[in-house]
Amino acid sequence: MARKSVKLIVAGGFGTGKTTFVGSVSEISPLTTEENITEASVGVDDIRGIEGKRSTTVALDFGRITITDDIVLYLFGTPGQDRFWFMWDELSQGAIGAVVLVDTRRLDASFPAIDYFEQRQIPFVAAVNKFYGECPYDEDEIRNALKLRQDAPLMWCDARDRDSSAVTLIRLVEHAMAQLPVETWSTV
Amino acid sequence: MSRDIWNGADQGDGVPLVPLYVLVNGRTSPRTAGLDLATQVIALKADTGGLEPEYDAIVKRCQTWISIAEISSYLKYPLTLTRILVDVLLERQFLAVGSPAQETIVDRGILEKILVRLKSL
Repeated sequence: MARKSVKLIVAGGFGTGKTTFVGSVSEISPLTTEENITEASVGVDDIRGIEGKRSTTVALDFGRITITDDIVLYLFGTPGQDRFWFMWDELSQGAIGAVVLVDTRRLDASFPAIDYFEQRQIPFVAAVNKFYGECPYDEDEIRNALKLRQDAPLMWCDARDRDSSAVTLIRLVEHAMAQLPVETWSTV
Repeated sequence: MSRDIWNGADQGDGVPLVPLYVLVNGRTSPRTAGLDLATQVIALKADTGGLEPEYDAIVKRCQTWISIAEISSYLKYPLTLTRILVDVLLERQFLAVGSPAQETIVDRGILEKILVRLKSL
């Protein structure tokens, strides 16, 4: 059947505004799905590093935007705890790309996400979330602090604002399109 | 001689009486390739009279296309378990499945449609 789901990831450290961002553009209130790490995920997910048999719950927030009659875009916020990398792997498999939200008061909270997507060559944009008015740093300062590569887009956004979040997503999709392989093989 | 019998001691509020893994015969991963959390499913016309309530609840949720993540969220089942329950329902032909969500998108046309929609938000 032709019904198609497309994934986008909204990442960033704890408290960078992921769920707010998802909620501002989603056509439904953000939903939460939970994974119980020891109960049903053994054999599916890599639980190395999660010692003991106590069950741990990982929560994922997500929203959706209907694109056409047969395409739905899902926006997944990454789990707040960075140790649940296997969830990131599932989320990012086949995803168009990621928005990495950045809080200038705690830049280091966004390092793991940037590293993750850079290493896997998943297209991403870094979006500085303007929580409290103007950002005291300029683009170069933030780029340097985040060690962002020159080809990785950096932008400002307000995660509470629908238009701002939409513009961020547009930038991400355009960036992902620019990274698609050029179709030159068939013309030889 | 000791037997390993579940005495319900670890049962919290809202936990089903039957451990959910019993419902899926201990299956720990879906057999249908590509059952991603964003994959969408829809109910097929079928007699659900004999279905266990947990399965029946899923089929009722699938009257229109819905993703595994949404089913999990609405029914408050853990994600992986939802995926396995859906997998069983697919095998038993109560549900039909859409395209896998974890294929890398190389179709520029899909991305263009997404751009058009995002610009209309």
